[in-house]
Amino acid sequence: MSSMPPPKPAAHQQQPQQQQRPDKMNHISALDEPYPSPTALDQATTVHTQGNFRIASRKLPILKSDPIEAMSARLGIPVPEMIFGDNLLSVTHIPTGWSIAFTAEPALDLVDKTGEKMLRVAYAGEWSSSRERTSAGISEVVKPYDWSYTTSYRGSETSTSTSTPSGTIRKHKLARSPTTPPIPLGLLRRRDPILFHDEVVLYESELDDNGISVLTVKVRVMEHRMLLLCRLFMRLDNVLVRVRDTRVYVDFDIDLVIREYLAREDSFANLKRNLLMDGLMPDAITVALRDANQVAHLLPVVEQVLESVSLRDS
Amino acid sequence: MSDLDNAIAQLRACRPIPEAQVRELCHKARELLIEEGNVVTVNAPVTICGDIHGQFHDLMELFRVGGDVPDTNYLFMGDFVDRGFYSLESFLLLLCLKVRYPDRMTLIRGNHESRQITTVYGFYDECLRKYGSANVWRYCCDVFDYLALGAIVLGASNTLSPNSEAGSAAREVEEDTEIEVCNADGDIMSQFSRLEGGASRLLDPVGSAMRPSATATNGIGGAADSSRNSGLGGAGAPSRTGPPGSGASGSSGGTVGNPAGAVLCVHGGLSPLIDTVDKIRLLDRKQEVPHEGAMCDLLWSDPDEIDGWGLSPRGAGFLFGADIVKVFNHRNDLSLIARAHQLVMEGFKEMFDASIVTVWSAPNYCYRCGNVAALLELSEDSSGLGILSRTNGDVNRSDGGVGGPRGVLMENDLAGLRSGPARRYRVFQAAPQDSRGMPAKKPVADYFL
Repeated sequence: MSSMPPPKPAAHQQQPQQQQRPDKMNHISALDEPYPSPTALDQATTVHTQGNFRIASRKLPILKSDPIEAMSARLGIPVPEMIFGDNLLSVTHIPTGWSIAFTAEPALDLVDKTGEKMLRVAYAGEWSSSRERTSAGISEVVKPYDWSYTTSYRGSETSTSTSTPSGTIRKHKLARSPTTPPIPLGLLRRRDPILFHDEVVLYESELDDNGISVLTVKVRVMEHRMLLLCRLFMRLDNVLVRVRDTRVYVDFDIDLVIREYLAREDSFANLKRNLLMDGLMPDAITVALRDANQVAHLLPVVEQVLESVSLRDS
Repeated sequence: MSDLDNAIAQLRACRPIPEAQVRELCHKARELLIEEGNVVTVNAPVTICGDIHGQFHDLMELFRVGGDVPDTNYLFMGDFVDRGFYSLESFLLLLCLKVRYPDRMTLIRGNHESRQITTVYGFYDECLRKYGSANVWRYCCDVFDYLALGAIVLGASNTLSPNSEAGSAAREVEEDTEIEVCNADGDIMSQFSRLEGGASRLLDPVGSAMRPSATATNGIGGAADSSRNSGLGGAGAPSRTGPPGSGASGSSGGTVGNPAGAVLCVHGGLSPLIDTVDKIRLLDRKQEVPHEGAMCDLLWSDPDEIDGWGLSPRGAGFLFGADIVKVFNHRNDLSLIARAHQLVMEGFKEMFDASIVTVWSAPNYCYRCGNVAALLELSEDSSGLGILSRTNGDVNRSDGGVGGPRGVLMENDLAGLRSGPARRYRVFQAAPQDSRGMPAKKPVADYFL
């Protein structure tokens, strides 16, 4: 197949103002429709039901100018240049209505907006010292905020209450508990057939070519259990590397949900040294530094939270 | 020449050319580029393109939409390489076309045309993978150092030329059309009239950023000019008659010289160290992109909704506001700055009363953003007055320098700012998947933990 253009309509048929060609013009090129219609949202959503749970994922292009400006105004910070504001991954417990959803805006809402945790690029010192000589007077940092878009987002939970037959009200909400078991990695390592899987990007920034910050969510559903991983990977070249993982594990047999949050972080130099100690050649290190999977285990854990909720009526 | 034509044919098929041929090509390109100034003068008509980023098949789509070389006169504003899978083929094809048709192809440097950036963002790895050594990467980087830093487009018209893509029965373009947005097949998606109030009857695709400015009643006729210029105080009234873009131009309304004003093209934006276009001409550009200084700023800075200059929160890099652009355009007799560097979902974005536009030419950026891309076409002025050769060094002879009367922007001057040349944006999508010669990437079931 080639990329030959489709035949052009005859000139006399052309309407200068409105060109409706639903076969080719999809929503991203309909410039006057910045927001996808509910139908388009539905069409882009895939739903899988397993046991008592409904898993939904939605993938759409990055937002257009109007929605970006609106989101930026709501958040009070500029949004990353690749903002998949319509993307979604959610898990809903059908009997109780409890759900956890992962979307870009609440994740960005947790980004530090004060500039208190602001990082500086590797050459900032060199840059500003040369500036002091040449353009004194420009010293004001525009809208300070954590432009690395580091977030501690663990998903947006909708907690619910149900009343048991005996009349007591049960609240369904993720909570820390000494009895919460760890996520059973052994069971997840088994090669059970994957019945549904997907991966959606929520946002990504190239940090003005100083590294990467990307928040993705992926899910795999097996017959008896599922795992969701929401991962922020932030690499500021020659400065710092961060991984923020939120794992949601669901046991379909007993309707138990476990959520684990792990924050990992190390200096760029340390990570590079550790990769070298792992036996990687310099070129392989460059590649590894782009791949969270290859570096996450080498980064020390700086924070861990384990929560669970049991949704089975009893 | 036939070697070159063979190389072009091979690269058009997305096949790399042998290392020895790359070396020869880069050598020829360097000889050509070394003769170019830091700011290349380009005459309208011209088609201005933004970032490409190694998306070879989308570059082919761009040529399909914008017309082939040498039929169309192209100006690419940098970032040819990195991120996409075919940086090598994309850059070498553009370079071949530059050598083959030097007057129909202008390439200026983007921040990715740098040794340091290409080692991190893909081009280096790609060369290593495709040739087994870094030689080709080195040849290309040597060419990067010679790329111009900007371009000045002269002779752009206030009125659009007929849309050649819209079939043989080309529609007449209304004289007062300032902006026209077309899709890839040349069908008009929206039009904006230069006359106030005219915009309301038309679609408004991109929101307020697109709306013609209140000052957009530019001179189609002399009466409009005189009323417009009457707002300029004596101190601000341009009286010099140098060529546009030099800071020495006297054309203010379209009766003399360059009717629509000159257009400056640069990858990133302005620099606090650069107040006239001629200062760009004085830089020593033949080097790796430095981490600081005027050359760095031109390739890295971004416009932002701020007053004056600001520092990027990242700790390096400048942001500049509407007042900076307006003062710069006024001082240099520019009607528009065209720049690239930032992803915009609609393919283009006009800011600050249409004094600056971002053009983005990589559709579905990184193969996953789903954005459209755009080209900016500037028509040739048919009055015969548009094309002027420029002279150098006029800027300080008259009062173009800082501190002169023109160095201070009077409030009245803003009302007298030029409205831009007539602009046609062609918006296009990514090349169809089946033209890429590779199957659509389907996510594989992955036993992640």
